[in-house]
Amino acid sequence: MNAPTTFDGGMIGRPTPRIDGRLKVTGTACYPSDFPLEDTAYAYLVTSAIARGRIKAIHLEEAQQVEGVLDILTYENTKGKVRKVRAFSGGGYTSTTIMPMDSPKVWHDGQIVAVVVAETYEAAREAAHKVHVEYDERKPKPGFDKRRPQPRQISNPLSSSDPQTGDAETAFQHADVKVEAYYTTPTQHHNPIELFTTTCTWSGDQLTIYEPSQFVHGLKNGVAKQLNMNPEKVRVISPFVGGAFGSKAALTPRTAFVALAAKRLNRPVKLVPTRSQSFDVSTYRAETQHLVKLGADRNGRLTSLHHEGWEVSSRPDNYKVAGTETTSLLYACPNIYTKVHIVHADRNTPGFMRSPAEVPYVYALESAMDELATALGMDPVELRRINDTMVNPIDQKPYSSRALMACYDRAAEAFGWSKRNPEPGSMHDGDWLIGWGCATACYPTNVAPAQARVTLAPNGRARVQTAGHDIGTGAYTAIALTAADRLGVPLENVNVELGDSSLPPAPVAGGSNATASICNAVAMACDEIRERLAQGAVHADGQLAGADPGDLRLSQGKLVAPDGKSEPLKEAIMRLGFGPVEAHAKYTPEIASAPVKLMGHKLIEGGISAMTSGSSVKDHVQYAFGAEFVEVRIHKRTREIRVPRIVGAFAAGRIVSPTTARSQLLGGLIWGVASALHEATEIDERVARYVNDDLAEYLIPVCADIKDVEVIFVPEEDHQVNALGIKGLGELGNVGTNAAVANAVYHATGRRIRDLPIRIEDLL
Amino acid sequence: MDTFSPLKAAPLSRRAGTRDTIEVVLNVNGRNHRLAVDPRVTLLDALREHLGLTGSKKGCDQGQCGACTIHVDGRRVLSCLTLVAMVEGKAVTTIEGLAPEEGGLHPMQQAFLDHDAFQCGYCTPGQIMSAVACVREGLATTDDDIREYMSGNLCRCAAYPNIVEAIKQARAEMEEQP
Ligand code: FES
Ligand code: FES
Repeated sequence: MNAPTTFDGGMIGRPTPRIDGRLKVTGTACYPSDFPLEDTAYAYLVTSAIARGRIKAIHLEEAQQVEGVLDILTYENTKGKVRKVRAFSGGGYTSTTIMPMDSPKVWHDGQIVAVVVAETYEAAREAAHKVHVEYDERKPKPGFDKRRPQPRQISNPLSSSDPQTGDAETAFQHADVKVEAYYTTPTQHHNPIELFTTTCTWSGDQLTIYEPSQFVHGLKNGVAKQLNMNPEKVRVISPFVGGAFGSKAALTPRTAFVALAAKRLNRPVKLVPTRSQSFDVSTYRAETQHLVKLGADRNGRLTSLHHEGWEVSSRPDNYKVAGTETTSLLYACPNIYTKVHIVHADRNTPGFMRSPAEVPYVYALESAMDELATALGMDPVELRRINDTMVNPIDQKPYSSRALMACYDRAAEAFGWSKRNPEPGSMHDGDWLIGWGCATACYPTNVAPAQARVTLAPNGRARVQTAGHDIGTGAYTAIALTAADRLGVPLENVNVELGDSSLPPAPVAGGSNATASICNAVAMACDEIRERLAQGAVHADGQLAGADPGDLRLSQGKLVAPDGKSEPLKEAIMRLGFGPVEAHAKYTPEIASAPVKLMGHKLIEGGISAMTSGSSVKDHVQYAFGAEFVEVRIHKRTREIRVPRIVGAFAAGRIVSPTTARSQLLGGLIWGVASALHEATEIDERVARYVNDDLAEYLIPVCADIKDVEVIFVPEEDHQVNALGIKGLGELGNVGTNAAVANAVYHATGRRIRDLPIRIEDLL
Repeated sequence: MDTFSPLKAAPLSRRAGTRDTIEVVLNVNGRNHRLAVDPRVTLLDALREHLGLTGSKKGCDQGQCGACTIHVDGRRVLSCLTLVAMVEGKAVTTIEGLAPEEGGLHPMQQAFLDHDAFQCGYCTPGQIMSAVACVREGLATTDDDIREYMSGNLCRCAAYPNIVEAIKQARAEMEEQP
């Protein structure tokens, strides 16, 4: 059997409290740094004080004098101990190809230069501050050049093609109505509240790593490669993750050093980096610049779209998010030109942050669309309707489903958009200017090979095992609902085990693929169990003798035929032997390419996700959509900006777990507001160093920043995306929100702010 | 809740190999624990690393996120900004000791569960401890007040709208049965 059947037991789509919620509200959910290990030693990082240059000397004498210090790792004793491994974004494992402590070279500020290990955290910290490093410093390049546009260079030989069609330049010249503008988005850091902790312990040649991870199989295999070990000797444990948002997907340099330290001391070593260090220990969302040129006829039909993007990366890596994949297929347009450039700087390698490509690129396009609507004197919703498309304009491949305008209509109605006076600055409430704005949200429906083992016991209890991850997404609950649905047992009978690399491999919890990939695997395993029970039942002389096994389904603790005849689960299971019945399923996405169909499970077993992107399916494109409406209030005198109201309507295929899905979208919308108004990592240009590297100075919304947020689900059925019809939505909510806010700020004030975040000082 | 009594103290837990230690008796969730620790140990690290009470979380270690919020004599305290020596003789309550009975839930815990007032759950123990104190202190009267007084607890997953709803539900129950 290749794909799950489509029987429904009524559990998929049922609102329910999180099944892991009780652990979370009682403080008993075990995050990786919560595991108690006997005789733990504590590690503390020493990080680089320069962004470019070399270490001339490291003086350890004073640090070694601190009582309780056990060991200090520097390049002098770790050189050559960690092997170079390919980067995640290039089909490997690591967040960067920069190898700290492999040589005296310094590539970026905050790079790890020493690891101090001591009996206590306090001693390790004291000693770390007594490590004195002498540098040979060179002047660093902090990021983009001052000029606009940035140099037009394409330095990625593996560059995915820049989508293009027709002749955008000529069409732009002849367009009736045009807009042309630069937009920028700042550096941002994920800042999950849980720090980037790592604890390693060895038992003989077996290494166990406790580390919050979005991809335990990737971490396991990556570390094994780095340390030249058999992957079977490495186990990663991460049952709960305290927020990730992309920052815990790829293997960062710290892990191997903690493993080395634990090996040298032959005892567990625990690292809890500081918040400030966390700005360099993992990755970040790089700053971007965009040139968008739109041309349209007088009726608002797009005739030309030009989207050129620039992104910052480190010196050695060509990391880029290249969101023109998405902005080139959002609207009907005969002439499209896109290009993405990388600007190298003396910085750490950037990485995925929630909706990596879409947050900056859709921001630019959706801002430009609003400017075009203004130039045309047209309602921005109508502009989207006129340019709505059911095919990718680049290659005419159809969308598997696209409910964008249904989302607009539902959200506009809930928001009261028809009461908007389009004139900027025309709406007030006392001392407050009111602005209403909207934008499109979209995210590709990605799917990857995944495996799951399901066990059903005669007493009706089920166990689901898969090395997926619940990073707050509700994965435990969605998976349990799927199993309860397919096995016909109550939700509380289902036990789900995740976040352990000794379980059957599952892909990275990233790219919003996890629910689709894993739930399809779980459903397959359940179907196999059903099939085996049915075969047993029809061939025995019980109630169901002679029935068609394909007709039998599991429901309410029974195996049931369409005519109502049934047999208790216990009987059906016991017939097959003594004890529980077990199935291990390997789900391969229906949309996967031939090589992935052939090799996908080999890859995932080796810690590579083999994800098929919704924009690169062979015969169609698959995306989830949404429409977001925002009200901003801007104080007439102080220019304080508030966001009292957000409405988002989303169509994301089948919603497996509505309670947790709603929370995902709520959180996403608030992330979108943060992207528009709060978040920016400031860089001291002289030294290429982050300045606001803590939670007081790096702004994220607090409770008082957020008022009414409404999430509407627009029903959608799409069985082309995958058998269960699931589109991911973890990253959908915070796409376009930043543009909706900026568009609302324009409506309130008549000021078009194109550089995020928008702050009071921009409106004075 | 038990009152402080050194007589009930558990055996001494000592971590060797560091410089001068201080001896402290910590009353946590009604139980006494004797510790010999580096005087620089924070209450948060004492709970997590020495007593195995890992419900209180470290998100910043510098008083900026609220994940480490606990109660000391019923008042909200950031345990990362409190040295363990400062709470000797005081009653410390952590998320593990919040429920009125073993295996049960405090109305605030139940309300967070009912309203899905979290995602990753990492800020949640701190949110709940703050929320309980907010209600007890009579600060959770209006929605705006809840938002204001809960703003010292960051939630990166941004469960804020659900947190406000949860606190309103628990407030009603807590006011009924003080
Ligand atoms: S850990 Fe104490 S406030 Fe953040
Ligand atoms: S639930 Fe994740 S930080 Fe609050």
